[in-house]
Amino acid sequence: MDQPIRILLAKIGLDTHTIGITVLAKELRDRGFEVIFSGLKQTPEKVAHAALQEDVDVIGVSCLSGGHMTHLKVLAEKMREMGLDDRILIVGGVVPEEDVEPLKALGVDQVFTMGANMDDIAAYLRSAVSA
Amino acid sequence: MSRASEKLKAPNDSGETLWRTEYYEPAIADTGERKTRFQTQSLRWDIKPLYTQADLDAIGFDPDTDLGLPGTYPYTRETRPAGYRGDLWAMTQVSGFGCAEDSAKRWAYMVEQGLDSIIVEFDLPTTNGYDSDNPLCRGEVGRAGMALDTLQDMEDALDFPLEKLKNITSVCNAPQPVNLAMLIKALQRKGKKLEDIRLMMPNTILVEYTCVGRYIYPPKHGLRLACDVIEYCMQHHSNWMPLNIVGAQIYAARGNPVQEIAYSFAMARAYIDELLARGHDINRVAPMVSFITGIDMDFFEAIGKLRAYRKVWARLMKETYGATAEEALKLRLMSSPGTMSMALQQPLNNIARLGIEMLACALGGGAHTINTPLYDEAHALPSEDAITIGANIHHIVAQETGVADTIDPLAGSYYVEYMTKRMEDEVFAELEKIEAMGGALGALEAGYFQSELAEEQIAMNRDFHTGERKFVGVNYRVKKDEQREIEIFRHDEAAEARQIERLNKVKSRRDEAAVARVLEKVREAARGNTNMVEPMLEAVELYATHGELCDAMRDVFGEYDPNALTPTL
Repeated sequence: MDQPIRILLAKIGLDTHTIGITVLAKELRDRGFEVIFSGLKQTPEKVAHAALQEDVDVIGVSCLSGGHMTHLKVLAEKMREMGLDDRILIVGGVVPEEDVEPLKALGVDQVFTMGANMDDIAAYLRSAVSA
Repeated sequence: MSRASEKLKAPNDSGETLWRTEYYEPAIADTGERKTRFQTQSLRWDIKPLYTQADLDAIGFDPDTDLGLPGTYPYTRETRPAGYRGDLWAMTQVSGFGCAEDSAKRWAYMVEQGLDSIIVEFDLPTTNGYDSDNPLCRGEVGRAGMALDTLQDMEDALDFPLEKLKNITSVCNAPQPVNLAMLIKALQRKGKKLEDIRLMMPNTILVEYTCVGRYIYPPKHGLRLACDVIEYCMQHHSNWMPLNIVGAQIYAARGNPVQEIAYSFAMARAYIDELLARGHDINRVAPMVSFITGIDMDFFEAIGKLRAYRKVWARLMKETYGATAEEALKLRLMSSPGTMSMALQQPLNNIARLGIEMLACALGGGAHTINTPLYDEAHALPSEDAITIGANIHHIVAQETGVADTIDPLAGSYYVEYMTKRMEDEVFAELEKIEAMGGALGALEAGYFQSELAEEQIAMNRDFHTGERKFVGVNYRVKKDEQREIEIFRHDEAAEARQIERLNKVKSRRDEAAVARVLEKVREAARGNTNMVEPMLEAVELYATHGELCDAMRDVFGEYDPNALTPTL
C-alpha cells in the first residue's frame, strides 16, 4: 500500500456538534487514513492554512448548524487562492438536498448527510484521491 | 449452562426455570429465537425472555423501601402525590429564530396551538457570547435561535401572550447572568409581575463543556457564574428554576441512561457544593436544581430511567447531604422525547416515534413539563405544520389514551422494577467513581466524560451500520431514491443584516461614557467574588450589549481553549 490518505477534519464557526466528526475520525483511522482534527470554532482561513501546512489530500468540513453555504464559500475561495483547489473537499452534517448542487458549484466534491455509511465514505475518498 | 444446573441455582425462581425447559425452549427448538442477542438499546443489558419475582429477589428489591407511594420517599412512584390526575404536564417546544420580532410572532403562534410553555433558544453568536456584528458570527446570526444583542431585543421578544404560559425557559448557558439580567429588566419594563412568571434557565454550563461546546470561560469561572445565577434567584425569585441540568444533551451525545443520570447528578453536586460553601442551606439549594432528561425509543429503558432518576435524587439528597425538606428530596424534571430518534429519512415516521416516546414519558411520570422536538428536526428548524402536530401529540397522549388517569401504572411490573433498581445501583456506583476523580470538575478536566461518551458514539454508530440497531427508513426498509415529502422552514438570510441594523440603532442612542463605566464595574465584580447578576442588571439598562458584557468578563476570566476538552480521537 502506498502513502496513507491524509485528511483534515474541521469544524468551522460556532457550531459544536461533534458526534459525526468524532465517529468519522475513528472509523477512517481504523481504515488506515491519517486523520488530523482542527478542533472546534475554527475560521475558514485557519482551516485552509492548516490544510496547506499539513499537506492533506482531503479536507472534510462538518456543519450541523445550517451555516454550511457561508463557510464553504469562504473556504473554497481561500483554497483556490492558496493553490489547494486540487484537494478533495467534502462536507458532512445537516445539509438540505437543495443545497448540495450549490455546494458543488462552489467547489465541494461530495456531501454526506445523516446515515451515510462509513465504508461508502472511505471508498469514495480512496477513489477520489487516486483519480 | 445445563438445564439441571439452572434448576439447582435458583430454587426460589417462581417457576421460571421449569417454564424455560418445559415451555420456552421447546417453543423455539425448531426455528430458534428471532435475534442472536436481545439487548436493551443503549445500556446493552441482556434481556431475558421473562422476568419474575426471582429477578427482583436477586437484586434485593423490597417494595416497602424501594417504592413507597406517590409523593412519599423515595418517590419512585411519583414525586407529586396526585401525579397527572391533578395537573397534566406543561406542554412545550423549543423555538426561536431570526430577530426578536420574528421569534415573538412564532411564539404567539405556538400559544395558539395549545402549548403552555416555551423553551427559548438563542443563536450561536449569543450562546457563545458575541454580538451579531462580530466577524466570527458570519452566517450564524438568527439561524439556530433568536439573535440577542441588547435589552431592546429582549423587550421586543416578549411581545406575545406571556400570561398564557405555565413556564418559559431561556437557554443561554455560558452568558446566563447577562441573559437573566435582560429577562428581568425586560419583564419589568413590560409591566409584568415577576412572581407571576415561572422562569427556567438551564444554566447548565458543565454539560456545555462535556458535550455541547457553547462555553466561553474556563470551567471554574463557568461554575461560579452559574452559581451566581442560582444564588440570585434563590434570594429574589425563589419560584424560578435557575438550574436545569440538561441530561438530555448527555443522552443525545450517546450517553446511556446510567451515564446520563450519574453525570447529571455529579454535575449537580458541583453546583450544590459551591453554594453550600457560600453558606447556603441544602434545604434551600436543592429545590433550585432541576433536570431535563432525554427520552428515546427503548420504551423500558426510558421508563426505568424516569423512575430511577427521582429515586436516586431523593436518596442522594437525604443520605449524602442530609436534606430534610420534602422539596429538597423531590426531583424536578422535564422530559424531552425525540432526543436521538428524529430521522432525516421518511420524516413523517418521526410522528409515530414521538407518540411512542411521549407515551413512555407519561407512563414513567415525574415530569412537570414535556418537550417535544418535531418530526422535521433533522431537516431544519420546525415548520408551522410540525409545531401543530407536535402540540397535538401531547394532547393525544394526555386525553385519548387514559395513561395519565392513574399514577405510576407500571409499578410492580417485574421488568420495570428490575430496570429501575438495576439503574439505581449502577448510577450510585458511577457516582462513586466520579467522586474519586474529584467530582464533575475533576472528571471533566481529566477528559473522562468526553472519552466515555466518544466510545458510546462509536459503538452506537456501529450498531446502526451492522443493523444490530434498526432505524426504519435509515438502515431498515430504506426507500430507494427518496424525495423529501415535507415542507421545511427556510432561514431568512436577511435576518443578519436586520439584526446588525437593530444593534447599531440601539448603540447610536446610548450614553457611551456610562456604558464604559458600567463595563468597568462588571470587570471589577468579576475580579472579586460578589454576585455578578447585580452589575449586569445595571449594565443592560444602559444598553451595554451582550457581547460587550461577555467581553468584559473575558478580560478577567480569559477564554477556555476550545480544543482542550475535545474528545481524544
